[in-house]
Amino acid sequence: MKEVNLVLGVIGADVHAIGNKILEYALTNAGFKVHNLGVMVSQEEFVKAALETDAKAVLVSSLYGHGEIDCRGLKEKFIEAGLDDVLLYVGGNLVVGKQDFTEVERKFKAMGFDRVFPPGTMPEEAIQALKEDLGLM
Amino acid sequence: MKGKIDLEKFLQTRKEVLAAWPTGAEVSLEDGINYHKALPPEKNFAVKLKKVKEEGITAIQPRAGVALLNEHIALLKYLEKEGEADFLPTTIDSYTRQNRYQEAQRGIEESLAEGRSMLNGFPAVNYGVYPCRKIIEEVNVPVQVRHGTPDARLLAEITLAGGFSSFEGGGITYNIPYAKEVPLRKSIEDWQYVDRLIGYYAEHGVLINRESFGPLTGTLVPPSITIAINILELLLAVEQGVKSFTLGLGQCGNLNQDVAALHGMVELAEEYLKRFGFQDVDLTTVFHQWMGGFPQDEARAFAVIAWGAVAAALAKANKVVVKTPHEALGVPTKEANAQGLKTTRQIVNMLKDQRFMVNEEYLLEKEMMKKEARAIVERTLELGEGDLVAGIERAFAAGVIDVPFAPSRFNLGKILPARDDTGAVRILEFGNLPFDSEIREFHRERLKRRGEKEGREPSFQMVIDDIYAIGKGMLVGKPRTK
Repeated sequence: MKEVNLVLGVIGADVHAIGNKILEYALTNAGFKVHNLGVMVSQEEFVKAALETDAKAVLVSSLYGHGEIDCRGLKEKFIEAGLDDVLLYVGGNLVVGKQDFTEVERKFKAMGFDRVFPPGTMPEEAIQALKEDLGLM
Repeated sequence: MKGKIDLEKFLQTRKEVLAAWPTGAEVSLEDGINYHKALPPEKNFAVKLKKVKEEGITAIQPRAGVALLNEHIALLKYLEKEGEADFLPTTIDSYTRQNRYQEAQRGIEESLAEGRSMLNGFPAVNYGVYPCRKIIEEVNVPVQVRHGTPDARLLAEITLAGGFSSFEGGGITYNIPYAKEVPLRKSIEDWQYVDRLIGYYAEHGVLINRESFGPLTGTLVPPSITIAINILELLLAVEQGVKSFTLGLGQCGNLNQDVAALHGMVELAEEYLKRFGFQDVDLTTVFHQWMGGFPQDEARAFAVIAWGAVAAALAKANKVVVKTPHEALGVPTKEANAQGLKTTRQIVNMLKDQRFMVNEEYLLEKEMMKKEARAIVERTLELGEGDLVAGIERAFAAGVIDVPFAPSRFNLGKILPARDDTGAVRILEFGNLPFDSEIREFHRERLKRRGEKEGREPSFQMVIDDIYAIGKGMLVGKPRTK
């Protein structure tokens, strides 16, 4: 597999670090070049990192329930930066409270995310999706 | 130890703290003290916790907080009535925890517009003193502020003047697992301010309980590290005049180890209080049900909740903080929250007259844990050369204290924990922990047993399997079959 750059991070004021570390490990093991921004990443930092690393995909995590507020406008910032083609994934516990995931998925797709992953997704599923979307199969 | 912060200096800093957000202008120490004195004693956290300890029961407490005041009050009333909570919380939202009051304000406005909470907690600073008092007046049990704030000075000023009588956190436990870029010296000094404030209330006859956040990152934290950090935060707090302190511990999952950890922690804490001459401190304990990943299936989640309740009840923890069947999915509904409380209540009631049976493994576990925690605390004190704050700062920089999976860049992050074959949390990679060969051999030997059972060398993959294990219905992570 040729080198594929990914940007990984937990958005907003969220400090959930465990899944982030596991994703970094699993994505690296799967052969991707991972630029992990860690926790508490702003929208601007995601855009900047995607530009600097020539990333093919940006994986945004949110575990604490503020995902809706934190992710709004992210896609627009990518478009403004000329990064229309960069894949945007989001996953985690994206909203406050137990809500129907179909509805959550619809909401985040409307915000411009290419894929939306529910709570409890294993790293392998994200890796599989990346390979499909990036034509690496 | 350097002693209490000078009152003049404290009052000087206080002016800046209160100026950080408009609601700070509402705070008056005198008014806050008078307000507490006018409250009935059954609403005081420290007083009730002391009573609970004397009675030898395990009190139950949920986590809860939403963006809008009336909804928050309704939530707490429901948890008091339907969930029979002995103590209530007010969980603070994550923007407030990072002092981002503008964003919290936006969260309140969007919640009003959407008719549902868009925040994961109650933004107490934005509301100010009087809405906090409304919460205290509407419920009949003591209420604690629970959060994760490295700089909680303004939050403490507002909520304590607002009638809250317990405040969770600490300069280590609310920095290392909750922040990325906050230097330890900054968070510890900001928390010394909080402790000094509580000391001020105590000097004027109002007892406020302080609680350390024992679970840290909530994921495979070796108990001795928790114990050492709790003791350091206890010493920092009592130095500033705190008179009621609760040591905290997160469940690991092996009953022997969990009970030994809670008992060992109290024994060692009492030893250090005595050594440094603090005699009039009410020391209590809180046990947190499993803080790591939960099963999505609610019946399975109830089993995890119940197992935490068993450990808390048998260890005779003074308080247990309760999880909910929605844990795997994020912030729970009020009904799910009450269900967690009821499950826990049933168990602590059933076990209240039963004691943990002391056994050899428990005794060995407790002895080893105390040895480890003592080694960490002693090395930290040495590094400080009489200055505890400097000692803690240096100990983290050197990896003498090291918390696994922490987001803070001021934590070395070189140690790696893993479960042994009985599910007890051991240390696979020691980083720079100041442990002697006896301790190291103990951990190595236990992990070797597991490795042999599973036919694999202990590795990072084993650790990942452990992190997911409870969510998948096991305690010890099994190798994946392809």
